[in-house]
Amino acid sequence: MNELIRRDFPILARRIDGKPLCYLDNAATSQKPRKVVEAISRFYLETNANVHRGVYHLSQEATDAFESVRGKVRRFIGAPTEREIIFTKGTTDSINLVATSFGEMSISEGDVIAVTRMEHHANFVPWQQLAKRKKARFEIIELTQDWRLDPKEVDRVLALKPKVLAVTLLSNVTGVTNPVASLAARFKMAGTSILVDAAQGIAHSEVRIDALGPIDFLTFSAHKMCGPTGVGVLWGREALLERMPPYQLGGNMISHVGDFDSEWNELPHKFEAGTPDIASVIGLGAAIDYIDTHGRNRIEEFEQSITDHILSRLIAIPGIRLLGPTDPHHRAPIFSIAIDGVHAHDLATYLDMEGISVRAGHHCAHPLMFKLGLPATCRASFSFYNTLDEADQLVNALSHAPSFFARRRK
Amino acid sequence: MNYRDVFGEILADHHESPRNWGPLPGCTREEQGYNPLCGDKVTLRLLVRKDSSGIEHLERCTFEGEGCSICMASASIMSEMIQHKQVPDVRALIEGFREKMQGSETVLSLPAEDSGEDITALYGVKRFPVRIKCALLPWTTLKKGLEATHAE
Repeated sequence: MNELIRRDFPILARRIDGKPLCYLDNAATSQKPRKVVEAISRFYLETNANVHRGVYHLSQEATDAFESVRGKVRRFIGAPTEREIIFTKGTTDSINLVATSFGEMSISEGDVIAVTRMEHHANFVPWQQLAKRKKARFEIIELTQDWRLDPKEVDRVLALKPKVLAVTLLSNVTGVTNPVASLAARFKMAGTSILVDAAQGIAHSEVRIDALGPIDFLTFSAHKMCGPTGVGVLWGREALLERMPPYQLGGNMISHVGDFDSEWNELPHKFEAGTPDIASVIGLGAAIDYIDTHGRNRIEEFEQSITDHILSRLIAIPGIRLLGPTDPHHRAPIFSIAIDGVHAHDLATYLDMEGISVRAGHHCAHPLMFKLGLPATCRASFSFYNTLDEADQLVNALSHAPSFFARRRK
Repeated sequence: MNYRDVFGEILADHHESPRNWGPLPGCTREEQGYNPLCGDKVTLRLLVRKDSSGIEHLERCTFEGEGCSICMASASIMSEMIQHKQVPDVRALIEGFREKMQGSETVLSLPAEDSGEDITALYGVKRFPVRIKCALLPWTTLKKGLEATHAE
């Protein structure tokens, strides 16, 4: 699929230290196709004006371009109305908005707030601190040996009837995809509001509200799906968003400001204080167009073929430890690996010398890493513009890692 | 190619056989260094005494830790250099190393294996700019430990 696609990403033709760039850090951020960069640049060069402000023609053009992306996002995730699409700075901002605003409205002392062991810090710390502020109970759903949510743990936490469950669609460390629709159906019966962190999920499969069950909030960032940094989306159910207090106060989010009190603008503007990152929103629109051109089903199929190809080869490397399911189903091409006796940073420097860009560290998932007893791992994450050759390159380099790091016999 | 070809025999040797590793009974200060970005951890144990003229002496230093090869080798090399030294001299060593690693001077090749001073092997890490902080962690931890000791 991807020889033609690769030409859309000029950066993929770069050479690093004489070797072709083998970019396998897509879980951190994806590369951007030319069309996205051009859309941003064209906005600044031809259409730039502030939105929702001016009465002049250019401002209206900018506003139309900006608002048309709201419609694209609505269709992309299958939301019922644009009033439910809120532009934020990114997933982290989206989750903080919900934890602060919804948390303020809904959480009282003694309530239960639930997350899972595999959450990114962005979907962990805001809830942990909300629980602390409100004297609520903070519950963590633990994992099984094969890195998936433990059904017994799900039952245990479900029985506590949490007020909110914050769960990732796809783990940025293990590549596990969570069965969000069935979780949501069960927790909804217990009166739980459900936030789904789709920061990783959005890049790897078709994410649609109607297919995720009775969830209440969905969050994602543009930059992990071929869009620019600096912009993300919060989708929330209109009835909830209407009741939630504003998160940030200032311009655009008000309808009337008196000397001693103010009234709030209607949705979605109530949650969009200040001048937004207009150009990046335009870039997000171009990213959605780009992904739609290729089709999310085809992207998912291609990525599955990478997973099928590489998984058995990775596991077969002597001394390697894969921190994720060895079963290719319900997982994305995100592979965290550790090699016995080799620190993740040394391994990442070695791979870098082989021309392979991977992430080394804790992947913003301290609660998971501490539980595993690992300070750091190396993570290789693929996108639809990666190739099977690159997968082989990684496997080959990892196969030679033990001899590279071999200690002198004493 | 292997690790020794890239980072040299000296770093490999210090990583595989760390010097001054372990506890230090009677130490006057235990200082922990941690890099939350990469997970490198180092614990230094210092025995500092003042002589009759009020000058502080670092009589012994041991370390333990878990981290990458560069961080651990750096701690080992540092520990060899600072034993039985006057604290002002140790501070000068720390500052000199920091300047060497963060200064604009580029290091493109490994120093000769027989340069006589193991610390020169660490200068080669400058070819991997993201790893400089790994080499620096033990030294910044030592600096903190000496400052805390001095303030007591």
